[in-house]
Amino acid sequence: MRTDRRRRLAAVWLGTAVMLGALLGVAQASRGPLDDPDQAHQRVGFLDAGPLPAAAPATITEAVAARPAVAFFVREQQFDALCDALAPSSLDLDAVIVVVHRAGEPCGGAAVVADDGDVAAAVGLRRPAGGGYPVGYAALDDEDRIRYRTLDPGLAGRLDEVATILDAVR
Amino acid sequence: MSRELRLCAWCLLFVAGEVALYVSYRGHDARFHWFTHFFVGAAAALLAMTVFALWRQRPAPYPLVWVLVGHVLAAAPDLAFIAGVEHQRWMDVFLGHLASHYVPGRNLTWYAAFLATLAGYLVAVDRVEARSRR
Repeated sequence: MRTDRRRRLAAVWLGTAVMLGALLGVAQASRGPLDDPDQAHQRVGFLDAGPLPAAAPATITEAVAARPAVAFFVREQQFDALCDALAPSSLDLDAVIVVVHRAGEPCGGAAVVADDGDVAAAVGLRRPAGGGYPVGYAALDDEDRIRYRTLDPGLAGRLDEVATILDAVR
Repeated sequence: MSRELRLCAWCLLFVAGEVALYVSYRGHDARFHWFTHFFVGAAAALLAMTVFALWRQRPAPYPLVWVLVGHVLAAAPDLAFIAGVEHQRWMDVFLGHLASHYVPGRNLTWYAAFLATLAGYLVAVDRVEARSRR
């Protein structure tokens, strides 16, 4: 009877280990090319993580001049979706800068900056798992300091999360 | 209600709760955060269950509910974030909600910790059940 009980308990442990290990493996393998290779740094949700706050580059601060703002970094493929999402969102477009890799086009009332990568590097956005231009955003305070930065491939669908961060910076 | 049905109801509650927590994160990086706070919360729950079992000399009742409560406690700041409250450093009181993300080895480390605490609880249950049959 003792052996049976121990076999049962061992089966519980082993079954749990295998099931959760498999799910964890699938989760790790399903990371996208635009995600941070270390997910611990993606969408952390709190200000001043790591080396922050840090001075924002002039290319960004010239567009908003000493007020809380968010700078989105997108590739051409995400540009239209972001601009479409910004218009009906709660974000004040005067506090939004859209930094787009290479070509720049109008994006509603938001300032648009063309970037070959220098601005994203100056802001300190991490390199995506698949390489190339980062897709994410950075939040600045009224002292032109970067208080938050993250990769976020799905940022156009999470502007409420961006608004929370911007409110925290104010 | 029979004992089997009562146990099954708690199982369903656990599954529903975990699915709700997973969905609450939205987006595929949810999998990282769900796993981190699940493993941390579940490990804390298993430690508490082990203490309970050794103290009361019986297995913890409704074990999956303990695990769900532990997960909710660890993930509580993320639920507050959905309501518009940004994370702050003091929220580490929720089972190291912020700090747990940065442990070396990330979720693999927490997976190992969870398995260790699960093993510890099952050993405690084995000893308690062995004593009760003498």
